[in-house]
Amino acid sequence: MSAEAVSALALSIRVAVVATLLNALIGIPLAYLLARRAFHGRAMVDLVVTLPLVLPPTVTGYYLIVLLGRRGWLGAPVYALSGWSVAFTWYAAVIAATVMALPLLVRTARAAIESVDRELEKAAFTLGRSEWRTALEVTLPLAKNGIIAGLVLAFARALGEFGATLMLAGNIPGKTQTVPLAIYTAVQTGEMAEAVVLVLALTVLSCLVLVVAGRLGARAA
Amino acid sequence: MSHRFSIEIAKRLPGFTLDVAWTAGDGVAVLFGPSGAGKTLTLQCLAGLIEPDAGRIVVDDRVLFDAAAGVNLPPQARRVGYVFQSYALFPHLTVAGNVGFGLRDRPRPDRERRVIEVLERLDLASLAHRHPSELSGGQRQRVALGRALAIDPALLLLDEPLSALDAPLRRALRDELRTILSGWGTAAVLVTHDFAEAYRLADRIVVYENGRVIQAAARAELLWQPASEAVARVMGLRNVLHGVVVKAMPDRIQIAWRGQTLEAVNSPTRTYLPPTDSPIAFFIRPEYVRLVRKDRSALDAAHHMNQMRGTIVGESDFGTVWSLRLRLDTPGAPAQGEFDLEVEVPHLVYEILDIERDRRWEFSIHRGSIHVLPA
Repeated sequence: MSAEAVSALALSIRVAVVATLLNALIGIPLAYLLARRAFHGRAMVDLVVTLPLVLPPTVTGYYLIVLLGRRGWLGAPVYALSGWSVAFTWYAAVIAATVMALPLLVRTARAAIESVDRELEKAAFTLGRSEWRTALEVTLPLAKNGIIAGLVLAFARALGEFGATLMLAGNIPGKTQTVPLAIYTAVQTGEMAEAVVLVLALTVLSCLVLVVAGRLGARAA
Repeated sequence: MSHRFSIEIAKRLPGFTLDVAWTAGDGVAVLFGPSGAGKTLTLQCLAGLIEPDAGRIVVDDRVLFDAAAGVNLPPQARRVGYVFQSYALFPHLTVAGNVGFGLRDRPRPDRERRVIEVLERLDLASLAHRHPSELSGGQRQRVALGRALAIDPALLLLDEPLSALDAPLRRALRDELRTILSGWGTAAVLVTHDFAEAYRLADRIVVYENGRVIQAAARAELLWQPASEAVARVMGLRNVLHGVVVKAMPDRIQIAWRGQTLEAVNSPTRTYLPPTDSPIAFFIRPEYVRLVRKDRSALDAAHHMNQMRGTIVGESDFGTVWSLRLRLDTPGAPAQGEFDLEVEVPHLVYEILDIERDRRWEFSIHRGSIHVLPA
């Protein structure tokens, strides 16, 4: 395996892991709020979170550039202040993967939370638990299988992210070139051996994720 | 310890309005009435899971809710135990975990002691490490009770606690539940739509119909003196009939019905004196109608009053009793469609009197068995 292939693989795993952690941090509370709370703008939040699922990834990537690029709504002031832009860094790959994976986690976790019997939560309230503690001790543990399934989907999506990553992070070998981008580049430049190695590596990794997820699911059930 | 609580609430929902006021004390108050009458909604208001639009709830001098004063304690602060219809046991926790769930604020040794105490009292100690999915229906009910009782609630609420069980188990658990509730001594409010269950478990029965209370009374008083025809119908009483007052006296009421004059005892506690010629509702329990044996002559007038004669026009076998539908000989339309009175006799009586062949009967009703229903 070439040094470039190794660095692409390492980067892909790093991006997918960080993106999955961010997903857990943002997605689980978001799924809980969408499932259990009626708040102002709920439909809007639901729409924005879900949109990357149906939009072409390049369109999502374009919006990310508009938002975070060097001349973006958020990116321009950051660049003016610090001379730094997130675009074309590995953080950009993380952001793209996070945004693309979020709807998968939120939708799966939300469905799992909604299927938890509300009477169990009411029982917890009458036994002195606040809503916050009830969510931590009753609702989320009972939705655990669905949440784990959502995280697995999110990880797989982050690992395979291509379009939005290309738009916001570019395709810089050793810096922002993840495995899917490296495979594309290898095929384009006729390096079929390199492509096959990366294809096999990604396939094995995906199988591994599924097996581990299956084990976790079996133990949880 | 003597308990006393009062509830007076109104809650408007789309297509339904709850507007009730009643009080209860020690023992079990049963909210009885048809499905959709607002019984469960009342429990949820008591527990703080639903906020009424108006009213006041006071338990043992503690104000849980007072719309006028802006008081609405959250369920967490009410110390009200709730046994849900489905039991709502936490499936991911053991029996001990469920029972100890409400004790998380206590120091660990204290909490463990209380869990063991509750489990032992409810005969659950051997099941402490099982999960709810591994329990029978009866065991689940006891865990749900234990979980609610562990926190020493000021008030225990039970929503149709027996409805999730099969009929034979239901009977056995009804008696077990009664024993537990009286042994524990916690004031309780129980919801049911089954009158036998209500009567067996209650000290006091509050009758609900369509979002309102139509009677609240000690269970014996309710059984013998339903306050109105509406209560009689909700209780499922049979032979609810309509006549005309001939003469009302403090101890007796004479009623014209189907061409004869019946004599009924007036209620000893709530004397009812409707004017002559006014309509009056009354009921006769089917099991209190006496068939007159043909092999005995000379009826004793002290025991056989309100004598009538009729024909059996229909019958149903209920396994241990026969229900006979009698039509009087007097002319005119029968009081209840095809028949005038439903009479219930045990199988043994049915066989001894050879009712299967003999369809013409004379019968009597003691005046104490005709109950007037105040309008």
